[in-house]
Formats: sequence, structure tokens, C-alpha cells
Amino acid sequence: MVETQEDTICFMNLAIEQARLALDSLEVPVGCVIVEDHTVIASGRNRTTETRNATRHAEMEAIDMLLEHWQKDGLSREEVASKFSRCTLYVTCEPCIMCAAALSIIGIKEVYYGCANDKFGGCGSILSLHMNSSEKLTSGVSKKKGFKCTRGVMASEAIDLLRSFYEQGNPNAGRVNTVFTLIQPQSLTESQCKGSKQFDTSCRGAVMKNVTCLRSY
Amino acid sequence: MTGSTDGRAASSSNCWKIIHIPDKPPIPPDNQPTTIVHAAAIEPQHANTIVRKLNQIAPLENLRHVKRVHKRCLDEGKIQLFVVLCMAPENDGKCNHMPEEVLELVTLYQLSTFITKVCTYAASTKEEWEEQCKLWPTSFHPPTYNIDGITGFSEEDSQSIFRFMKFAVSLAKSGVGSVVNAAVIVDPSTMQVIASSRDQVLSCNTPIKKNNGETCCSRLSEATQYDTIETEDRQSLLSKCSFNDAKLTYNCVSCLNPWSWLEQKLHTGSGSWHPLQHAAIVAIENSAARERDLFPMNGHIADEFVHEDYKALSPTGSPWKRQKINLANVKDDENMNCQKNGLRSDSSRPYLCTGYDIYLVWEPCTMCAMALVHQRIRRIFYAFPNSSDGALGSVHRLQGEKSLNHHYAVFRVLIPVDVLKSEALFAITAENG
Ligand SMILES: [Zn+2]
Ligand SMILES: [Zn+2]
Repeated sequence: MVETQEDTICFMNLAIEQARLALDSLEVPVGCVIVEDHTVIASGRNRTTETRNATRHAEMEAIDMLLEHWQKDGLSREEVASKFSRCTLYVTCEPCIMCAAALSIIGIKEVYYGCANDKFGGCGSILSLHMNSSEKLTSGVSKKKGFKCTRGVMASEAIDLLRSFYEQGNPNAGRVNTVFTLIQPQSLTESQCKGSKQFDTSCRGAVMKNVTCLRSY
Repeated sequence: MTGSTDGRAASSSNCWKIIHIPDKPPIPPDNQPTTIVHAAAIEPQHANTIVRKLNQIAPLENLRHVKRVHKRCLDEGKIQLFVVLCMAPENDGKCNHMPEEVLELVTLYQLSTFITKVCTYAASTKEEWEEQCKLWPTSFHPPTYNIDGITGFSEEDSQSIFRFMKFAVSLAKSGVGSVVNAAVIVDPSTMQVIASSRDQVLSCNTPIKKNNGETCCSRLSEATQYDTIETEDRQSLLSKCSFNDAKLTYNCVSCLNPWSWLEQKLHTGSGSWHPLQHAAIVAIENSAARERDLFPMNGHIADEFVHEDYKALSPTGSPWKRQKINLANVKDDENMNCQKNGLRSDSSRPYLCTGYDIYLVWEPCTMCAMALVHQRIRRIFYAFPNSSDGALGSVHRLQGEKSLNHHYAVFRVLIPVDVLKSEALFAITAENG
């Protein structure tokens, strides 16, 4: 079964819901959901301030949630790997280099994200780890795994949340650099892009230059 | 695994060496690109006037690292000065063309000009700089400012770096045979181990960490609470990793082979495992847990914390904000108790791992290296490179990614590979402070 555009918008709305929860907790508003067979099986939001751990990004939270559940259910590593390979992540902001590497390690199938992350994005902005696939090189080194990646899904909503966080929290917001960029929806792996999908038409073609941020979320 | 540095172990460090891993791929120091310039010998009494004029009429726009004047000591203590007049056009075989104004200066002071080479790019390492100065002197600004060690370590600093690296290696080997990666986070201002961990991708003992800050509020009794390796852990780790009895393999080193978590043989079916629990990731969580315990968050501090993040990064960031936080902490009972227990010698609340060093046996993978950017580690020391996924020079070079909002300095501690085999060498561990 192929995911429709409505499905994609629906799942990204749930990710934005998670980002709002982060905003309510004074965290940088980034949220995500993980979907398997058209069902949301995990969600996550940024918790870096609460945990004092700057690596507790939404994606890591959602991955850990799944690993905990699946291990409680007694799934073997083979079963877990096979499940991850059927999962799609919807996240409001481009996965950073760390999260993109983590998604590659667990072997996720596909990622949809909203706005680009010009400072430390790992799915096209700074590095392109989603294209990180390799053949098995030498014995003892495992095959690297890439994943399909589509960007620009409801990017303006994601950016609005980030902007409201930085505007309420930082009086100097106007003086700092643009970090998150609103971009036109497009698939990042050209070879896998079959025709141009169009998502939220309200954000097409727009590029925000005033969204500000200095911290890593 | 506690003990003290004895004479034999100390002498074994003599062949150890620390090298800085720069922001850009190194060029062989004696093979740096050069640019041709016109130069001339000048009289010392004319030097100021000539240099001032030249800076106006022929500024060295793209050669700012090149010193305009080169002082050479001749025999009998005499000093000869040379000056760079201007760049020489590269496409001209004769290189005779000088701007009109420079020619006028040459005529005025009756200078006899010659062609020479200077290095095209500023040196990024001390070795490059030393080599550059053999051609023509240049200035050297270490690429990462305010980070100790880039221009070299004192003997005392080197010894403590070796000591912590030995601790990391002993941790990596503490699974008896199956070597994994290990991470030790150190506060260099107090020489205290803040947190440490082995890889836990295949560990059956450590439960997946709780993300909830409230679950970690037990009173801190000793710093080693945050070192995840415990005696019973070590015992049980014996059977967890597949490894060849006859010969040591590095299959269990998670950063070397992040995609292998599925392929590793797990001897026991029970217990937890986690494909992302690389040593650095777990050590970061351990240090965060320590911070949550030492400085529990309340609403007021939470607010400050968000602001602190901006302050720490803003070029106009001033120390007053940090002092304000200190005051807030002094009122904090928990914090006071911790200080009474002697766990922290100062009252300043840490901000993530700002100012801390991390020791890793292997160069971290992309995920771990970026995690260390997020957590604001100041310096990374690793012993062995990671050609399959190393992100500090081998495959990627995150310390040179200009767009990132934090940059750490990276050092490799050169140690003999057989330290991973030799048991005798690692009868010591680091002592806390
Ligand atoms: Zn991330
Ligand atoms: Zn790693």
C-alpha cells in the first residue's frame, strides 16, 4: 500500500503536535512520530533542557521508546531490525548529523521532514548521511545503510513553532543567523524520486530568512 | 582495577605522543603550496618607511600570514633585513613586472630585487608553520582559539593525558579479551573523572536509560556512581561478545562498525541491548545524570538555563549571567549538601560538558562525534583511528565543519597497538583528582 499525500500530512501533523508539547515545556520545539504499516508506533519530542543531555533529540527519544517496547515484548535483534526496516519517521526539522547517523545505524526505511537545518542537518544540509549506503567492503565491516528522504513537508508550520520559541525566549533574536530554512518539498534521493510530489501548497517556494536560532535543540 | 602509577608503567609512557588533528586535512609540511613574490634587501634605518609605503601601495591581500620583513642573522652578529615588495605574476616566466609605484620605491632606495617563494596558505599546525618559516617567516595563529594544547602540551599535562588514556584503554579491555570502545569524560580543571562508560551495544546488564530526570534523584554518594562499569558487569560481559580466543578482534568496537549490531553473536538471549549505546553516548548520559543529581532543576533555574544557552554562544555573552546562576545554586540545598560532601570544589553549575575533555580509545563514529558537538565537549583525545566511520578526520572531519555552532579540538594520543594485548601495561587506572 502506498502512502497518500493525506497520510503524510496527517502524520506530520502528529509530529508537529509533539513539537508543541516541547514548546510547552520550554524545549526547542522539534517533534516526531514513527509509523509502521500506517500506524503510529512511537513519538518523541526534544528533551535536551530537561535532561541536561543535548543529545536527547526527538528522534533519539522515539527510537529508544521503540527499543524498550520491543525488548519488553521479547523481540530478537533480527525481529527488531526487520521492524525498523519497515518504519517511516516524520520529523518537523531535518535530522541533525547525529540523528541521521543513528537512523542509518538502526536501518530506518524512510524519513519525511519539515524545515531544513542549515547549521547541522545530516540529510542534505551539511552532510548527506541518508545516501550513506555502501557495499560490504572488507570482511568484518558491515554494509552502511542509506534511507529514502523527503524534505519540506509542512515546513512553514515547523518554522512558525521554532520562531515562536526563539522570539519569546531571546531578546536578541533579530541579530543572529538564520538556521532553519523553509524549503520546497522535494525528494533528496533523485534516483528514488518518481515525479514531484506536492505537499502543503501554502509553503511552496517560500524561503524564510528571519528565523533565528543559536542553540542546538 | 585501582592502583597507582608505578615506575614501570610511567616509563612505558615514554614512547607515547600527542598530536593535534587539525580542522582541515593536513598537507605534508614540506610540500605546501607556494607563491612567488618580489623581495629586496633593505637598510634597517629605512625599514619603517619602506614597509609603511609598501602596505599602502602593495598590500599583501591574500598573504596576510606572510611577514613583510624577514630578519636574517649574518656572520659576526650582523643583521640583514629583507622585505616582500609585491606578488610576482605567475604566468610570466621572467617575473619582471612590478607595479609602477613599487618600481619607484625600488629606484628611490636603490634596492636590488630578487624573486623568492612564500607559503600560499596560513599554517594550521606547528609543524607546517616551522616548515613555512624555512622559506620566509609567517605568523601562526592556532585554528581553534583558547583551547589548550594546540601549540603543545607541558610535560605535566602530557602525563595526565596519558594517565586518563590508560584508564580509557583499561576500561576498553575490562571485558577480559573482547575489546570494545571506552569513553572517559574528565574535568581538566579538577582532574576529576566526571563519567565513563564502555560500549553497551551488546551489554546485557545495563537497562536502557530512563529519560526522566526525576528518576535519578538519589543522593550522590561517590563519583563512581556515574561510571557504568561495575564489578558484576565485568563478570557478565565475559560471555556477551563473540570473540576469537586465539587472536584479539575489534568486531565489538561499536564506532568501528556501527552497522554490525545485528551480526554480532549474542550468547545469552536475555538482557537488553541497544544499537546506539556507543561508549561516548552512554558517557554523555552518565555525565548528564550526574548534573541532574548535583543541580536539580526547578522552574526558575530552567528558565535561566534556556537563557544561558544563548549567552554561552552569543559574542556579547557576559559573565554576569553565569554568576547569577551560581547565586541561585548556592541557595539550593541539594547543591550545598553535595559541596559539603566534597564532591564539587566550586559552586559553578556545569553547562553540559563545557570545558570537559573526553578520552576515547577509538576515533568516534559520525553519530558519537556529533553527539560530542551537541554536548559541548572542549577537547577529544583518541588513540586509534577509525577508517570505516571515523568523523574526526578519517571519513568526516566535524571539527572543521564551519557551520556547526561548537568546535572542539581533537588530539590523537599515539600509543603502541599492543597495549590492547599486553596485560601488564594496564595494571594502573586513573585516580580521581
Ligand atoms: Zn538530532
Ligand atoms: Zn560511535
